Amino acid sequence: MTWTIVVGIKQVPDADEVGIDPDTGRLDRASAPAVMNGPDRHALEAALTIRDAAGGEVIAMTMGPPNATSILEDAVAMGCDDAVLISDRAFAGSDTWPTSLTLARAAEELGADVVVAGEETTDSSTGQVPPGIAAHNGWAQLTYAEAVDPRPEEGRLVARRDVEGGYELVAAELPVVVAVAFGEFDPRPAPLHRKIYGENDFEPTVWDAEDLGIKDEVGLDVSPTSVGRMETVDPVERKSEVVDDVDDLAAAITEVRA
Amino acid sequence: MTDDDGPAIDPDEYEDVWVFVEEHDGDVMPVSWELLAEAKALAETTGDDLVALTIGEDLDDVAEEAIARGADRVLVADDPVFEPYRADPYGEQFRAMVEDRKPSIVLIGGTHTGRDFAGRVAVPAHAGLTADVTEIDVDDEGVLQARRPAFGGDILATILCEEHRPQMATIRPGVFEAAEPDPDRIDSDAGEIVDVEVVVDEDDAVSEVLEREVGETADITEADRIVAVGHGVEGDLGPARELAEAIDAELAASRAAVDEGWIDGARQVGQTGKTVRPELYVAVGISGAIQHVEGMNKSDTVVAINDDPNAPIFDHADYGIVGDLFEVCPALVERLETEPIGEVVQ
Ligand SMILES: Cc1cc2nc3c(=O)[nH]c(=O)nc-3n(C[C@H](O)[C@H](O)[C@H](O)COP(=O)(O)OP(=O)(O)OC[C@H]3O[C@@H](n4cnc5c(N)ncnc54)[C@H](O)[C@@H]3O)c2cc1C
Ligand SMILES: Cc1cc2nc3c(=O)[nH]c(=O)nc-3n(C[C@H](O)[C@H](O)[C@H](O)COP(=O)(O)OP(=O)(O)OC[C@H]3O[C@@H](n4cnc5c(N)ncnc54)[C@H](O)[C@@H]3O)c2cc1C
Repeated sequence: MTWTIVVGIKQVPDADEVGIDPDTGRLDRASAPAVMNGPDRHALEAALTIRDAAGGEVIAMTMGPPNATSILEDAVAMGCDDAVLISDRAFAGSDTWPTSLTLARAAEELGADVVVAGEETTDSSTGQVPPGIAAHNGWAQLTYAEAVDPRPEEGRLVARRDVEGGYELVAAELPVVVAVAFGEFDPRPAPLHRKIYGENDFEPTVWDAEDLGIKDEVGLDVSPTSVGRMETVDPVERKSEVVDDVDDLAAAITEVRA
Repeated sequence: MTDDDGPAIDPDEYEDVWVFVEEHDGDVMPVSWELLAEAKALAETTGDDLVALTIGEDLDDVAEEAIARGADRVLVADDPVFEPYRADPYGEQFRAMVEDRKPSIVLIGGTHTGRDFAGRVAVPAHAGLTADVTEIDVDDEGVLQARRPAFGGDILATILCEEHRPQMATIRPGVFEAAEPDPDRIDSDAGEIVDVEVVVDEDDAVSEVLEREVGETADITEADRIVAVGHGVEGDLGPARELAEAIDAELAASRAAVDEGWIDGARQVGQTGKTVRPELYVAVGISGAIQHVEGMNKSDTVVAINDDPNAPIFDHADYGIVGDLFEVCPALVERLETEPIGEVVQ
């Protein structure tokens, strides 16, 4: 029995490219290029590591607009066997409740034994989607996973979880949702032939809300939360004085302390 | 399970402000008491009771302390199944309590534990769950205004949950001040301790803790002075530690230094760590990524030591020096130690 490993990846605005709109002086996120959420590369690496140890296949899934296909191509280039784009206008305005429902249904449809996700995204960074997937399906979960140890013979997956002040080793029954701690799984580079395959020959499976049987359970209407005001945070004013020698720095520190 | 408009609920059926008191082996996470103090103000505004909730084993002392710190009532779910913490039994128990007693607002510390199980309550209860909140308020209708940083801290978004209850939120550690316990509240029976029914059975658990190693968890959120190390220290904390000793500061770190295993995660500053507000924050070998700066920009004075003149940290510092930290730190320590004591130690 090999495992079906499904990994969730999300498209986000490239944080390094978010500029200031010259007219309004506000952050202009709309024009930033869309890229794969950084922590999701670590999730992909973890998923591929699990496949290396337990056998089976890795399928990437993303819920997003049609152009999110490009991050699925990246995932396939990195080594995923297949990928699914879950896309529907009905998803607009979804908070983490319907988002995790959608991904939970897709994972079920794919016959997932393990779902791997990132710790959180760089845009709305709630970290709520992985536990949400587990909760919707009534599955086990392992968040803040720093290392994974698949044990197919036991039908379990063990993870080392980062907890305040230390760590713990937790074994979970399958199916399980694993959210990996960002920074702990060094993403492998994509070989050239996979890149070419991903870009030129690969087409993802495409599902909409109807395909997943959740047409009336997604979008703004079923989302308990809504985003109200969004304020740009002004940078804190700092003196930004660069001093030349240690004496001046010591003087500055002593002044603070006086 | 739901119609197009989601479940119709009557917000008036939901009352009280709940705070989750997180304990492990009898030790309460400081953020729990921070939330209890802040929630007291919310409950006074809405005219609700302030209810503390705790799950674990042997919780008598924790329950008493919650009363001393202002709770009107403490709900206690005490059973060996809850020790050590696991997401599935905790989530199931918490959800049963929420569905049974219908709180209006539920606040949970944004620790790894809190952020782990909160969704296992919010999803089945179809509650709104706002993540990693740094400011809270409540309007005349009892609607929680939960503000949270997004896009790495560039944006402060207000999240509302108008048509669902409870209104749940996880709150970043270190943003609110805890209140001192008042022992008179225990002597005068100011609060009530309620043992709730445990609805979880070990046989239903889908996870097992094989091993758990937890040491002292440092609390950097109360420090007046902080020396924080980044990836630039290359695993050698010596120079920064000596600087910290010279100015009587706590040691903290960027996520990169924590991920390398050079220093404990409880000392991490930033979006996925703690928010700190010291008088003095010295960043040693830290580049100044937005996710780091978000956790330290409430510091009064920021000093940066970095050998890259273009490091963003200099934009977020009051004073900076471009130099090798392995030279600057010892020289600084020497200079500070020759300073007349009266001026240095205040
Ligand atoms: C400013 C702002 C604030 C918000 N605050 C909240 C809030 O407090 N509460 C709330 O319920 N909703 C909130 N939302 C809505 C929320 O952003 C969306 O539901 C979002 O689609 C999922 O949340 P996330 O990006 O935080 O995911 P996270 O939970 O941070 O993502 C963790 C991991 O889950 C996987 N994942 C997440 N999304 C997808 C996807 N679309 N496809 C595949 N895998 C995925 C990835 O592996 C990712 O690394 C907010 C939105 C905005 C714009
Ligand atoms: C979702 C998410 C959440 C995150 N949350 C956090 C968080 O909570 N906290 C956090 O800190 N980060 C967080 N990060 C990571 C953050 O983006 C940065 O990667 C991290 O802060 C970098 O740490 P650093 O500055 O120590 O390392 P680097 O960026 O590698 O910087 C090292 C610095 O040291 C300097 N240096 C090197 N050698 C010397 C020397 N000999 N002398 C002097 N200077 C030297 C270099 O010039 C450089 O500026 C998060 C990232 C993501 C995606």
